[in-house]
Amino acid sequence: MTQDRKDYVESTTPPAGYDPLREQCLDFHVAEDLAAMAGSDDKNFILTTVDNLFDWARLSSVWPVTFGLACCAIEMMAASATRYDIDRFGAGAFRATPRQADLMIVSGTVTAKMATRLKRIYDQMPEPKWVVAMGSCAIGGGPYFKYGYHVVKGVDFIVPVDVYIPGCPPRPEVLLDGLMRLQDKIRGRRGAAKLPKWVADYARKIPYVNR
Amino acid sequence: MEATAIHALLQSRFGDAVLDYVDSYEKGSLVAAGRVGEIATFLRDDATLGFESLMSLTGLDWDGYDATGKGKSVDILGYDELGRPETSDRVGDGDLGVAYALYSPRHGHKHTLFVRVPRAAPEVASVAAVWPTAEWHEREAWDLVGIRFAGHPDLRRILLDDAWEGHPLRKDYAMPGAWQGVPLDGRDYAAGKWTEADVTLPDDVKRPEDAKLPDTGNQG
Repeated sequence: MTQDRKDYVESTTPPAGYDPLREQCLDFHVAEDLAAMAGSDDKNFILTTVDNLFDWARLSSVWPVTFGLACCAIEMMAASATRYDIDRFGAGAFRATPRQADLMIVSGTVTAKMATRLKRIYDQMPEPKWVVAMGSCAIGGGPYFKYGYHVVKGVDFIVPVDVYIPGCPPRPEVLLDGLMRLQDKIRGRRGAAKLPKWVADYARKIPYVNR
Repeated sequence: MEATAIHALLQSRFGDAVLDYVDSYEKGSLVAAGRVGEIATFLRDDATLGFESLMSLTGLDWDGYDATGKGKSVDILGYDELGRPETSDRVGDGDLGVAYALYSPRHGHKHTLFVRVPRAAPEVASVAAVWPTAEWHEREAWDLVGIRFAGHPDLRRILLDDAWEGHPLRKDYAMPGAWQGVPLDGRDYAAGKWTEADVTLPDDVKRPEDAKLPDTGNQG
């Protein structure tokens, strides 16, 4: 089989369908980092590369703690079962102890009684650790906002939250998407997509967002 | 047996202690609070009644209703749209009560006992010795509605923490802002972090029809 050599010539013009924003999210920019550092006196390029490598390792094995609070936990279980299979994204090893976990998925209503236990579990997790608030209740009290005398109106009163997943309860696909957003966050600053101004304006005006 | 026949039987047996026939979605009898114990024992042991099963025991709050059970419901305090506890100087009046939903597996009939107690001194005799299942149910009624059951072997809170203050299912219950250092409401108003303007959307923020979020893709 013969091939045209011209196919292998690198071009400086972007190929058709090239999306710089998408590229920004996907690429580790190792080549650009090296190129930028080659001409400078900054010798720590190995460190940044290792950081990228460690970030990749972390985001590829985010182990959640086995921890379910309410009906959202059912969706979380579905996400970890065969049909949705969160293990495809490295987050399928639900650990029975917080000492081995990286991620706490707050899946359900956080009651005042549970909040102290939740804080303790979070404190027992080793760094680096992340928290996902899954569902309306964990985000802001949900249907218990008005008359829930026993409900904490948002788990971010108790622990810092990295990703909020709306829904009542969110479907497993949305939990997978939330995990991917968390992986974007672990990947580094480059991972976060810049919101359009109207979305940022809107989000700023809604409580429990952008806190 | 029909509920009316059971009510007539109770009336002939206990006379004045059986106050009224209750014809609501649960047919039953309103009885005097002081004589619940002996009526319960009779209902369980009588061969023609045979109420061996207490299906549930429920605490009631008749605040806003008159003595006949008629009236309009009252406003119940909650949290406002900003998450702050609503306050009011309204003090609840109206009686508290207990409903005993009974079932006879032998005869297949049902009957519900109602008891009305004054709000100032809500105390009923415990029926935990008659139906053991009442033990937890009475703890729940004490926990959430605040009805004391005299003679209960272990009257503690069952759902809420032992240190909780108040009985939350009473209609005049004031919502807490925090509990033992756990914030329940509170968008940090004291610090001035959130104001009314934060939750009202200004007119100049409009969603453009053609605006779309970029597809950021993902590389898991």
